[in-house]
Amino acid sequence: MNERQKKIRNFSIIAHIDHGKSTLADRILEYSNAVSKREMEEQLLDNMDLERERGITIKARAVRINYTHKDGEEYILNLIDTPGHVDFNYEVSRSLNACEGALLVVDSTQGIEAQTLANAYLAVDCNLEIIPVINKIDLPSADVDRVRREIEDVIGIVADGCPAVSAKVGLNIDQVLDAIIDGIPAPNGDEKKPLKCLIFDSYYNSYLGVVVYVRVIDGTLKAGDKIKLMSSGAEYDVVEVGHLDAFGLQKCDELLAGDVGYITASIKNISETRVGDTVTTAENGASEPLQGFKEALPMVFSGIYPADGARYNDLREALEKLQLNDAALSFEPETSIALGFGFRCGFLGLLHMEIIQERIEREFNLDIITTAPSVIYKIEKTNGETIFIDNPSNFPSTDVIKTAYEPTVRANIITPVEFVGGIMDLCQDRRGTFKDMKYLDATRVELHYILPLNEIVYDFFDALKSRSRGYASLDYEFSEYAESNLVKLDFLLNGEIVDALTFIVHSEKAYPRARKIAEKLKDNISRQLFEIPIQAAIGSKVIARETVKALRKDVLAKCYGGDITRKKKLLEKQKEGKKKMRRLGSVEVTPEAFMAVLKLDDSEK
Amino acid sequence: MRALGLYIHIPFCKRKCNYCDFYSLSCTQGAQISEYINSLSVQFKTQSHLFSDCVFDTVFLGGGTPSLLSPNDILRLFSAIRENFNIDDNAEISIEANPGTLNKEKLTTLRDAGVNRMSIGLQSYFDSELELLGRIHTLSDFERTFSLARSEGFDNINIDIMYALPNQKKADFLKTLDYVVEKSPEHISSYCLKIEKNTPFFKTVNPVSLPNEDTQYEMYIDMCDILSKSGYEQYEISNFSKMGKRCKHNMKYWLSQEYVSFGPGAHSYFNGERYSYSPNLHDYVSAIKDGKLPYAIIQESADIGENEKRDEYVMLKLRLCDGICEADFKNLFGISVAEAYPDIEKYIKSGHVLRYNGALRFSSKGFFVSNYILSDILFNN
Repeated sequence: MNERQKKIRNFSIIAHIDHGKSTLADRILEYSNAVSKREMEEQLLDNMDLERERGITIKARAVRINYTHKDGEEYILNLIDTPGHVDFNYEVSRSLNACEGALLVVDSTQGIEAQTLANAYLAVDCNLEIIPVINKIDLPSADVDRVRREIEDVIGIVADGCPAVSAKVGLNIDQVLDAIIDGIPAPNGDEKKPLKCLIFDSYYNSYLGVVVYVRVIDGTLKAGDKIKLMSSGAEYDVVEVGHLDAFGLQKCDELLAGDVGYITASIKNISETRVGDTVTTAENGASEPLQGFKEALPMVFSGIYPADGARYNDLREALEKLQLNDAALSFEPETSIALGFGFRCGFLGLLHMEIIQERIEREFNLDIITTAPSVIYKIEKTNGETIFIDNPSNFPSTDVIKTAYEPTVRANIITPVEFVGGIMDLCQDRRGTFKDMKYLDATRVELHYILPLNEIVYDFFDALKSRSRGYASLDYEFSEYAESNLVKLDFLLNGEIVDALTFIVHSEKAYPRARKIAEKLKDNISRQLFEIPIQAAIGSKVIARETVKALRKDVLAKCYGGDITRKKKLLEKQKEGKKKMRRLGSVEVTPEAFMAVLKLDDSEK
Repeated sequence: MRALGLYIHIPFCKRKCNYCDFYSLSCTQGAQISEYINSLSVQFKTQSHLFSDCVFDTVFLGGGTPSLLSPNDILRLFSAIRENFNIDDNAEISIEANPGTLNKEKLTTLRDAGVNRMSIGLQSYFDSELELLGRIHTLSDFERTFSLARSEGFDNINIDIMYALPNQKKADFLKTLDYVVEKSPEHISSYCLKIEKNTPFFKTVNPVSLPNEDTQYEMYIDMCDILSKSGYEQYEISNFSKMGKRCKHNMKYWLSQEYVSFGPGAHSYFNGERYSYSPNLHDYVSAIKDGKLPYAIIQESADIGENEKRDEYVMLKLRLCDGICEADFKNLFGISVAEAYPDIEKYIKSGHVLRYNGALRFSSKGFFVSNYILSDILFNN
């Protein structure tokens, strides 16, 4: 370690959602004068509107802070922000790999939650020095001592003397900065060795091309260098290197081992700069890449269709633009008889899916219809072929299936003791396999289950929240493909299959699911002038049926005097509504009704 | 001479009913009403020249509660009307009346002023329902008013009733209907309750307490059946009359004939334009006082296009049991109904629209889903 490196600290902040990660980051920036209070927009790091509203960080970012420590020395603190959600686990682990230490923020009114643990374990796996920060001590229900004990007992790291702060009111932030400098090791790495940089994030900028965030592990990098991405072998000329501070990108001459910064190299597409990949020099480069690179694979799939079929091209453009900055988003065109032309999109998880859907609606002003989330099934066919199915309507008929497999996850649920019974029932009902149960303390329990992912995407999270009055938290990771008795469940309106409503379910779940969705269809399809039979079928066997009765009353009996305009407006409005209807064979369905059916809320909760 | 309808809005009530969203103020001060009548008289005078080549063959005092006017104001209003407008000798002159506001003196005054049609709001047979609706009268008030009107010589009376009230059973409504039929008025208007925004009902009525769609449908179908058997002709979705006793004024609305209206919130159709006065009494009265004409006019449709005119014609005409005469339609618009509205065919097939004697009209079941059908076939521009 040289003198330069001794003055660098690379760290992340990790936390369960809403425990105050972004607020703490803001305070650190403010306290270290990286940004003055006046210039400070709340939650500077989360610069997407959606991030601010949801209080989550979607994309990782890195900010460089110059801080004069109480010893009078000036330090460079690189704060690498991480997405806080389970869907982005892989991205989190790459960000953590770029650091030597992490602040583990725990809400003193809540204690440890599922993602606190998941993130802490990730940090431990990356050999990071973990500094607990107990937050929200300004709240009356704060219990700092209990949370300290919990951190020590459950995670096994020393919490005695760790900073207890209120990020909101800016209390004890100096202690956090001291802890970063005193507690987190400075980076090492050899400036003379062949270049090795870890990519932990990248985004597309229309002027610069792809901006790649890296941590330099070994070597030196400057503008004009020819670099190589080790996973693909692609080579580029570096245009610019620099670092990000609170005000934006700041060019610098070179990045050296231990530094965190960015590279631009006229790269057109972020799919070429995968998170976790290693950057080296084209000549005399490193012989081995850094460990742990993998491609983020979509786990959850859903069809996205424009509510107005004429806006198909707008939707494609929106997805293309989103993909520029989100390599984990995949999409390909698909056609549905019910919904017309759209795209089958792949997401890292449910939250990722919701975020993308919401961004399409907000940032591109598009009304969309989305089909129920699905997972990828693996089918071994009787002819020996193995196929993967990401769209339920492509699920083959049972006679050609030798064995069907579905993805399962290891789920980790933390809950107050009193809800354990209800949650175990829920997991049981969702075909979970109980692994073990651990008391975190006298009041809280950690449960481990193996659950089919298709049950998780079927609104498991909401059901969990409602059974625990919002207190339980969930974290999961892919486990394996497990053999399963799966069937394809079709729904028919007026005798015609509605492809967008096809589900893959475990055979034991087919009947209750069929009944429930048929009922929901009945409740959500508005009456029309003829009776509409609704059927649920496995193959040709109908297993549930309902009927939407014929419309009998839709009249303006009232006279409204001579106010003809009002009558006309009423009918015109009705006409507008009609235009938005989707015609499924002879049946008209509003997009809202469609979504209501597809949004699989757990009505027995 | 060009025939016109005249509508005068009286925007005062003793108390507003819980379901009503017409523009009206709760008022018990005679002075305010008298001032309003003064304003109307001024407006009549300044605008009478616009209608010098017209003859008014219907006059309709609506509200609000026109029967709230004092005998003196009634006389002043009618003399102002007659001074400024040509009123046909055989004009139908109607007034809306609330049973809680009439006495013998007022009835005599109305009759002497030339009123020859009385529309009395009963709404329900049951005092409990009347209270729920926020009506200011009881059944016995109605009973007394109705006999009084008869004995004063009113031989053209409408009774207003309502159905599909909160918690109402079909049998309850049929009881109201039986009672009305027994009274043998010349005309019956029967409206399905609609919960409007900006009414107390919008906040207080739980939609679950309303009769369901099927019950409402049965109420309607049974009503049409009972009234037809009792000698009433259904001539519009919600209106029934004895032979020759259709409301001529309301017919103008549905036949796209011209009518001129006065008062805040009142709507006119004149010289091919639809317009209204903004629903604010204070603005209305002070505009007249300041000599500002034409007051706060809300232009609704100046010079509407041919297609729109056609849509409006169909929308209004199909409210009537006479329906659309196919030959008339072709004469007016130069295109057949089937060509202009090809989607109508499927409703003829399904029995919601009937075609006979060269006319198209809704069947009873068609009437009750007419919004669905009209919004499907019209407004395709």
